[in-house]
Parts: sequence; structure tokens; C-alpha cells
Amino acid sequence: MARISRAEVERVASLARLSLSDEEGDRLVREFESFLGYIDTLQEIDTAGVVPTAHPISLPTPTRPDEPEVAMDPDSAVANAPEAVASAFLVPKVIDTEAEG
Amino acid sequence: MAEGIGTLRELRAALDSRKTSSVEIVGGCLRRAEASQQSLRAFVGLRAEAALREAEASDARRERGEVRSPLDGLPIAIKDNMVQTGEPTHCASRILEGFVSPYTATAVAGLERAGVVVIGRTNMDEFAMGSSTEHSVEGPTRNPWDLDRTPGGSSGGSAAAVAARIVPAALGSDTGGSIRQPASFCGVVGMKPTYGRVSRWGLVAFASSLDQIGAFALTAADCAWVLEAIAGHDARDSTSIPEPAPAYSAALSGDLSGLRLGLPKEYFVSEGVDAGVLAVVREAVAGLERAGAKTLEVSLPYARYAIATYYSIANAEASSNLARFDGVRYGHRTAGAKGLTEMYCRTRSEGFGAEVKRRILLGTYFLSAGYYDAYYRKAQQVRTLLRGDFEQAFAGCDAIVTPTSPEVAFRLGEKTSDPLTMYLSDIYTVSANLAGIPALSTPCGFAHGLPVGLQILGPALDEATPLRIADAFQRITDHHTACPGGVS
Amino acid sequence: MSASGGEFEVVIGLEVHAHLRTKSKLFSPAPILYGAEPNHSVHPVCLALPGVLPVLNEHAVELAIRAALAMNCEVHQRSIFARKNYFYPDLPKGYQISQYEEPLATGGWVDIPTQGAGGAASKKRVRLTRIHMEEDAGKSIHDDAIAGADATLVDLNRAGVPLIEIVSEPDIRSAEEATDYLRAIRSILRFTDVSDADMEKGHLRCDVNVSLRPHGSDEYGTRTELKNLNSFRFIEDAVRAEIERQSETLRAGGAVRQCTLAYDPQSGRTSVLRIKEDADDYRYFPDPDLIPMLLAPEQIERVRSEVPELAEQRAERFQHEWGLSEQDAIQLTASPAIANFFQAAADRHGAPQTVANWILRDVMQALKELEMALDDSPFSPEALAQLISMVDEGKTTVKSARGLIAELVESGGDPESLIAERGLAAVSDAGVLERAVAEVLAENPENVELFHSGEKKVVNFLMGQVMRKTQGKADPAAVREILARELGK
Ligand SMILES: [Mg+2]
Ligand SMILES: [Zn+2]
Repeated sequence: MARISRAEVERVASLARLSLSDEEGDRLVREFESFLGYIDTLQEIDTAGVVPTAHPISLPTPTRPDEPEVAMDPDSAVANAPEAVASAFLVPKVIDTEAEG
Repeated sequence: MAEGIGTLRELRAALDSRKTSSVEIVGGCLRRAEASQQSLRAFVGLRAEAALREAEASDARRERGEVRSPLDGLPIAIKDNMVQTGEPTHCASRILEGFVSPYTATAVAGLERAGVVVIGRTNMDEFAMGSSTEHSVEGPTRNPWDLDRTPGGSSGGSAAAVAARIVPAALGSDTGGSIRQPASFCGVVGMKPTYGRVSRWGLVAFASSLDQIGAFALTAADCAWVLEAIAGHDARDSTSIPEPAPAYSAALSGDLSGLRLGLPKEYFVSEGVDAGVLAVVREAVAGLERAGAKTLEVSLPYARYAIATYYSIANAEASSNLARFDGVRYGHRTAGAKGLTEMYCRTRSEGFGAEVKRRILLGTYFLSAGYYDAYYRKAQQVRTLLRGDFEQAFAGCDAIVTPTSPEVAFRLGEKTSDPLTMYLSDIYTVSANLAGIPALSTPCGFAHGLPVGLQILGPALDEATPLRIADAFQRITDHHTACPGGVS
Repeated sequence: MSASGGEFEVVIGLEVHAHLRTKSKLFSPAPILYGAEPNHSVHPVCLALPGVLPVLNEHAVELAIRAALAMNCEVHQRSIFARKNYFYPDLPKGYQISQYEEPLATGGWVDIPTQGAGGAASKKRVRLTRIHMEEDAGKSIHDDAIAGADATLVDLNRAGVPLIEIVSEPDIRSAEEATDYLRAIRSILRFTDVSDADMEKGHLRCDVNVSLRPHGSDEYGTRTELKNLNSFRFIEDAVRAEIERQSETLRAGGAVRQCTLAYDPQSGRTSVLRIKEDADDYRYFPDPDLIPMLLAPEQIERVRSEVPELAEQRAERFQHEWGLSEQDAIQLTASPAIANFFQAAADRHGAPQTVANWILRDVMQALKELEMALDDSPFSPEALAQLISMVDEGKTTVKSARGLIAELVESGGDPESLIAERGLAAVSDAGVLERAVAEVLAENPENVELFHSGEKKVVNFLMGQVMRKTQGKADPAAVREILARELGK
């Protein structure tokens, strides 16, 4: 049984902001299929009641005091930007409906 | 190839006895790096001018009697995923083209404080995703032992540079074996410390809960020196271990008497491992026994799920970590896109290589609605079970030994067409990352004419024991002194 | 338009975002500077440069706990920071660090004033679902003159500013209740010093979820979300407009579609921003760069013991301890600035009702005329207490004192020296006053006549004449005494 469809791969690509060529899409369906088949071995394991591990070691919660550091030089802040105007980053306008949290 | 560089300790002695200078040592490294690029491609960038300037400053300090550390004036290479102020960092990716960092990674700052001279950045699999250093926008690095073979990965450039005696040491990063497997393939020492021991501040993230910076060197003792310079608490990393790092060098007693070595029964079976590799590893274990260590069988029942667990977690974290590469604030941006979404999609599709895209897509899928519990959460639960395996095993032993890799260095292109086969080559290494424990690989012999690595794992926070074992092993063997052909 | 839904019951829930009053950001050590030029208060962490990592601001945690406790929530000893993944240029990491599965606090409630049976003042309890911590996004600036028509500017100064998100249960039943609820939230945030909670400055933002259902139904209708409303009036107007829109749809037999709406104050209408789709897949997962936030019970209890008095408790105290009317007490606790000013002035002066009268009448009026907030005024409560005392002691007159309030509110100063400089000291010199009284009596023989014929009230008129003659500086008590003596002759 197919674990994943081409449409699903496309949906994931759109979430990840990646565009796929036709060949890439076909190849990825095959690769997903084989990889998901491999990963499915995890389903053999009974994990009922097992607490998930998000971090490999336990540590006390680190915090920092509310003391501001000097802000970056604004020129340096945008120095790596592909496009900037004055001290702001410049991006193409949204021309479609974009998800916003 | 020219005469290779010695160990850090040999270089230190030569500096202290005024047989050479830092400028001379660093100059030699730069010359060998340049000369080897054609055949090895271990580097993606050299900082010749800055390095020589820093070497001069170190020589001046030595004249004044102000040597900062045993490493002052000694050269090192860093992987292309650690930032240094004013220097490019590209993670061997097109997406970071043109990026120059305005800040320095804590580990690199530790080297600078110790007076170490960074000579350049080494090649790697793009964003550290790979086991062969073939997934690099710069082209693959080759194995100094056999130029038709990969050096392993993802820190293949660092491993190759040390193995070819271009530099005496290098930094790498290890998310699932990316230091240990190339160390094994190239016949050098490589160690991944406990998760949180070396700050990740300034290490470009691949999988945040697994990534750890570590070191390559020619000996365990040299490796300890480098770790001492980069380890320790860092308030900029919330996952940094609060305690100061121990003085590793002091633990290198050469004494193994009474040491309990665990051999996981799941790993010492002929299935899935090259017979030549297994034979060499068994002989190394016998050598450790002769030196006073006791061996016992331990069990890691969940180890066979490690790869599936690892790739679920690593890809999920990576998909989120790599979202910031969007063409807005730095790096590559596609030309002439109409609208924001097109800019994002084209920038990212042009900027990332095939392996990175594959992992981002898998990771996005694992986290997406309806699949989170089946993949990501499930993998985190299995991770808990796997940690339990190690806790149980370490209750009865001081260290665990395994082969580092099930095979010797494979040929370029041999696994690139089948990603899953490539992933399976991390079978012995990923567990240490999932459990957060320290692990190193030390040369332990040859199979098929190529180096074999012995992996030594220690309990969390205890880097000293694996280092002590490797050091003791190196006192009774000479595998680590073997040089690839063409290097003397 | 009606505020209620007519034949439908209105069901409203609010998500309120409030900036926490910290000096640096939630996970970045960048300073927080309002109104700075683009990218003038950023740090590599705010720009999501490769390799940067978040570290939690301890004061932000303290403020968030304080707010949660003041709103009667249960603060959890363990909470988790999660990544909310989506792409937007003002979201530099490609994810927002927020809390999802295990938030800081759950439960809790906020009381809002409402009209009980027979119009009696009463309280309505709005339950809270949760309060969680998260970071703000940057700003996209659409300015064709600078960026051109097809580009947008991105400023990350705001990126990473600490927020709490306060999510209510759908307990609100009208547009008025929605704004009353928001006012109550604002008051708590201000009295606890958690946030400046200034809507105009974007410290307080609110998303409103609106749905309708037939009266008596216990199922919820499809809800729509009004995004980023930034003034009380807009919220009320927008909610009314949305209730009307949904009512019309339902009355016409249509179905409300789940969507996000924007409100246009110009047209007074709501319009669909985007239809909610399955594409909203934020792929939340625990942030691997941050370990679980563990709070010791003692830490929570310490913060609880330090939660400042809220408006309601202060107002009650002003009534019970100082005998103020409920109305005065409520007005004097409209903001912590007023409450603190009143309390300090009353403590210094000793007669709270007198001080209350001065504040509610003269100080408020001056602030209104000057379009100033008490926070921005250099007028100190000690100065007000002193001024009132001078009136009490006859050193100046009510009229002179009142004349000085606006100046004191605007530019501060010492009342005693101002009165001396301006020659506003009360005239109590017997010679001067006797002369003035004699003149007034001579100029108003008919009123003197009336007094003697039993019209004792004309004394007040004569008093006024004397005050006028002395430009209001005469000590009224002394004048009354002299008048009584002279008229009694
Ligand atoms: Mg929300
Ligand atoms: Zn929010």
C-alpha cells in the first residue's frame, strides 16, 4: 500500500517553501515510500506511557538577567542582506494570500 | 605531498625549544592546504593573511613569556558550519553564499583565547547532512588513503585535513556520527563530547538536540588539549552544561587495570558489519584486555531502532532550523521573483542541494498535522527507551566499545543514489547522539588496506574515560601513527 | 446596528497579546526601544543569524507569572516553549517561539462590570483558557515611496519583544462586554506593572473570535476571527459589524465560513482577509534549543506574595478606609498613575476626601485640557498636598490655588514659591480688609438695608464683592468676621 501520494509530497513542499520539478516530485515519492517503510519499524515498539525525550540530558532552566546588550550597528545588521533600503530589509510584496500567525 | 605536520605535543615542544616558530608552522599548514586542494579538496576557504598575522602575534607573546595555553601558536582548521567574526561561513551550501559573520562561535572564541591559529574552514556535507562529504556545493572531499573513496562525513574535510597531516587538529560537528565516522574512515582520532559540553552558540544548527562540536587530532592526548580549549559552560546556549569541563589531560594515566568494558551483544554479530572490520575491532578489544581491562557483555535492545529514531528526530528539527534560510536577511536570493512566496520557493529550491531538500521535506512531513504523533513523538519516546538502554548498560561498565562504522571508507558515488543505504552507515554512531553521551573513534587497525575505527562510549559527562582508554590503547599500538601514502 | 445578535446569541472569545515591560527581549539580549529607526535595536539573535541560540529573560518570566496570578490562573511548575512554524518576512527564524502543549498558566478569570437585575451594578466573570509566553514578530512596512510599489520593508526591532497571550473562554456575549473585558485586562496589567498596555503603541493587541447561535443552543456556531484591532472603539464597532454580517448571512439561510477578517473603520465593515484552510499547519514541536521551564513552588509563591493591589482592591480600600464614595473610588483607580498620585497626596495631606475633590475636579480637568497623561506630568502628589494645605491654612484662597493647577500639571514647581512670586498669598491684613469691607458697604446701601430687614443671605453677595475688590486674595474667614461685625453695628 502506498504510504504517501504525490499530492501529499507537494503539500509538504509548499509548507516548506520548496518548489519541486516533476522529476524531483516523482523521485521524492519513491524515496519517501522507502524511508517511511523503514521508519515504520518504530511502530512495533509499545511506547504507551513512555515520556518523550526532547533533550538528551536534564538541566536546570537557564535564564539570563534582563540586561540589554548594545544593539548591533544597523549597517552591520543589514550588511548580509540581498536587498536593503536604508537600514531595513527589502522583500517582494505579498501578492497572494499568505499564512500569518 | 610534502612532509606532514606532527602532533600538537610535538609542535609545542618544538616551539618551546625554539626549533621553529608559529609563523613557520602556520605557513607550512597553509602551503600543504593549498597543495592538497586539487587532490583532496579538504578546505573551502583559507585565512592565510589573518592566520600568519595571528601566528606572528603568538611568536611575539612567546618571546615575552606570555604563552596563553599549550595550544598558543598552534594551527587548527574549523568546519564550515562554525562562525568567526569577519569570516564567511557557508555550510558548503549555495544558500549561504556571500554570508560573512558579524560574530564568533563560542568554541572558536575558546580557540582564539588559547592563542590557537585558525587556518581555514573545511569541507563538509551541506548543512552537515550526509556521511560522505559528497553533498557539498564545493564538490566532494577525497579520502587521503584512497582518492577514489570518501573521507566519510559530514566532517570529512576536517578528518581528511588531519589524516593528510595538513593540520594537527580540526574542529568538527557530530549530529549522528559526523566526527566519529570520518575519523574512522581517515584513521584519526575524533571525539564528540557529551551533549551540552561544548557550546552550540555559533554552530549553524542542523538538529539542535543532537548537534555537538568536537575535535579531530592525531592522538587522544592532543584531542584532550583541543577539547579543554573549547569545552565549558556558556550562558549563550540554554542547553550548555553548567559545570566547568574537567581537565581531560590529567586523566590520561595510561592505566586500564580494573576498567570494565561493555561489549553490546547486538553490535558484535557478523550481520550487517564487514568481517574484516569486525575482526580488527575484536583484536583491539583483546589488546585492551591484555592491558588490564575487563570485558563483559551488555545489551542495547533498542539500538536496532536507532537509525529510524534518529532520522525522524533529526529531520524534524532540521526542517525548522533551516526555515531561516529564506533570502531575506542573508545568503542567496533568487533573481526577479514576482511576489514573496515565489521568492521563498525559488530561493530555497536553488539554494539547497538535493539531500538537504529531501531531509527538510521528510522533517516537515513528520511534524505536520496528523503525522506528529506517529513519527516525531513516537521517535522521542523510543529515544527515552534508548537512553534507558545506556543507563542500564553503564550501571555495569565504565565504557562501551563498538566498531565506529560497519565498513571501511566506501567509494565516491557508491551510496549517493540510495539515501537509505547511506543513512544505515551511521548504525553504530547515532545512538550516542540520541542518548547525549560522549563517544570517540580511535584508529585500531586496517581492513582492506583502509583504516578501521574503534568507538568508545562513556556515560554522560564523562569524556575522560573514553579519552583515557584511547590514550592507553595508543600507548600500546601504533595504528594512529600510520600515514596515508604520499605523506611522511 | 445592534450590539446583541437579535434572534441569535452572540458568542465571543478574545485573544489578547500584551507586551511585557522588560528592558531586553524575550530570548535575545537586544534592547527594547520604541520608535527607533528600522533595525536599530537588534542583535544577531533577532536577525536569526546562522548559529544563534535563545536564552530566556528571567524578568519576562516573573512578569508573566505575576499577570497569570493576578488573573487567578494556575501557574504550572513545568511549561514548554514550542516552535510555531510558518514563513513570513517579519518572522526571521521561520518560526515563532511560543507555548503550545504545556503553557505557563491555565484556568483563571477576570471580572467585568455588568448590569444586574433591575439595573444594579454587578459583576460578570469571564473565564480564561490559558496564558502563555511568546515572542513578538517584527514589522512589515508598506511604503511605496521608499520601497517601491512591489516591495515591502522589514524592520526587526519588535522581533523578539516578550508577550503574554491571554486567551479567554467564549464567555463574552456582546461588543460592550468585549471592550469591558479588555479594559479589565488592561487595568490588571497596569496595576501589576506587567505592561504599559498602551493600545496605541501596540503594547496591547487583540484578536476577537465571534460566532452566533440560536438562543438556547449549547453548540457553538462557526466562528470568524477579527485580527489585530488596535483601539477600543474599533473593537466595539468591528464586533458589531461582524455580528450584523453573520446575522444577515444566517437570516438569509446561508452558512458562516471560518475565516480571518479585517475591519475597515472608514466603511465600518469587516472584510475577509483569508479563508482558514487545512494549509494552516504550524507544525508545533518543543523547541530543542530551550529546555522545559521549571518553576519552583516557592518561586511562584514569592511572586504571588508580591502581586500589587489591583484597581478593584484599591477602590475598596479607598471606600472603607477613607470613606470615599464608590464612584469617586472607581474614578481614582482608573489607572495606577491616578491611584498612586491620589494615595500619596492623601497620605501627605491627611484629608482624603478633600484631596479626592481636588484631583477629580481640578487636576483631571487640567490634564484633559492639556491633553496630558498624569504619567507624563511633573506635578508631584506632595505639591498638590502642600497646595491644598495652604488653602486650609488660609495662606492662599481656593480661587488662587485652582488657578495654579494647570501650570503645576504642565510644568511642575513648588506651590509655596509660586504663590509668593505671583502675589497670590491670601490677604488677611486687618487694615486692608476693613477698608475693603467699608467700601463695599458704602457702595451697596440697599443690600445693607435688606440685611437689616432680615435677608441674612445678602452676606454672601457682600462677601463676593469684597473678594472681587481684593482680586480673590482675601482670606474668606477674616472677611466673614469683619462683615459680621460691621453689619451688626
Ligand atoms: Mg493566537
Ligand atoms: Zn500569540
